[in-house]
Amino acid sequence: MAKKVANIVKLQIPAGKATPAPPVGPALGQAGINIMGFTKEFNARTADQAGMIIPVVITVYEDRSFDFITKTPPAAVLLKKAAGVQKGSGEPNTNKVATVTKDQVKEIAETKMKDLNAADVEAAMRMVEGTARSMGFTVEG
Amino acid sequence: MDWTELSIITTSEAVEAVSNILMDHGAAGVSIEDAKDFEKLKPGRYGDHGEIVDPKDLTHISQGAIVSAYYPNNQQIDQQANQIAAKVRGLTAFGLNPGPVEVNLTPVVNQDWQTAWEKYYHPVSVSRFMTIVPSWEDYQPKVPEEKILRLDPGMAFGTGTHPTTRLSLQALEIVMQGGESILDVGTGSGVLSIAAKLMGAGEINAFDVDEIAVRSAEKNIKLNPAAKDIHVAANDLLKGIHQQVDIVVANILAEIIIPLVPQAWDNLKPNGYFLTSGIIKDKFETVRDAMADQGFEIIETLKMKDWYGIIAQKPKDED
Repeated sequence: MAKKVANIVKLQIPAGKATPAPPVGPALGQAGINIMGFTKEFNARTADQAGMIIPVVITVYEDRSFDFITKTPPAAVLLKKAAGVQKGSGEPNTNKVATVTKDQVKEIAETKMKDLNAADVEAAMRMVEGTARSMGFTVEG
Repeated sequence: MDWTELSIITTSEAVEAVSNILMDHGAAGVSIEDAKDFEKLKPGRYGDHGEIVDPKDLTHISQGAIVSAYYPNNQQIDQQANQIAAKVRGLTAFGLNPGPVEVNLTPVVNQDWQTAWEKYYHPVSVSRFMTIVPSWEDYQPKVPEEKILRLDPGMAFGTGTHPTTRLSLQALEIVMQGGESILDVGTGSGVLSIAAKLMGAGEINAFDVDEIAVRSAEKNIKLNPAAKDIHVAANDLLKGIHQQVDIVVANILAEIIIPLVPQAWDNLKPNGYFLTSGIIKDKFETVRDAMADQGFEIIETLKMKDWYGIIAQKPKDED
């Protein structure tokens, strides 16, 4: 019989290393999911990406079984990778720590397009560019 | 450990930037509720398996987005809340509309979420003859042969509902005849050791690297009088363990099974069985090859959803 969706939970958590600690515990515990069942399954499926933060959307069904799908890495993660830096700036207005090109912003926006709530690629680019600049990145081009 | 939840009411377009700000302040992850995710949902079919959804049955916000992060109380996030709010408001300067930027701090009571799922955990029939029953439920066997395994998993893995646990139980049922000595590696709630005891196993030593699991397994052994002589200890896989047993069983992840392969070999008698589960589809061949390279004979492969279990045997004439 078809199962009915009871809840949808969206998280960004470390690949391969999810633990029952927050945010996983509170988000999934309240949704009625067996937390350890989720962490085992998530870690098994994301072990190859360990060290990276990845978004995951968890669908909880009425019987409290669940499915999840992982999404493209957060914009901030892709931007740091593109710029070749580990960290953004604590004072993005005054201290610029990296530069990305408009083309790189576009590429990231296109990669993330299906996972962002953006009406079109231009809107997605504005989100990615805004995130880049909020990290103390200069956007050139 | 006590935690504080910091949540920010913002907009869909600022979610990526706000999440990054919260992580920069030390959050291990964030939880996101975005009204636009729900706007996209239409009543009817959902997902790849014929599930159904009716958005009006789902509790969700109707506009904007909420990004929440959790900080241990010793990080004193309350003292950084104003700074975080200022950074989020400052997103305007970078071309993003941050919305209302309402910041809320709420203490998180551990107990609430650790046990919330328990009310959905009910007796589960794991094989023809075995039913796993939550310790807080009253349940009587339906037929005289039915074996009852009482369990309070707490925060340890192994409720009997997960495919990996079921595959392990199947493997035990296939190879066991009674009286076998067993090493249970990564015991979690102790479910496999207790089940093996109910199936007539002899001496069982169960290990887990996690102290929470060791305590959970001890508690569950006490709930099942037939299992009272199982010995549980904290140990990293089978490091420093030198025994000769009939069965090594491990329901852990593929990455952790690989270093266990030579240790299991050393601890098994000739003809002994190495039963593994927790292997996701993509990793199955790697694990199977590691076992074959060690000299194990692959007797049977079990499968449920995307998960694999392997029944391997140490040959009698070891060269």
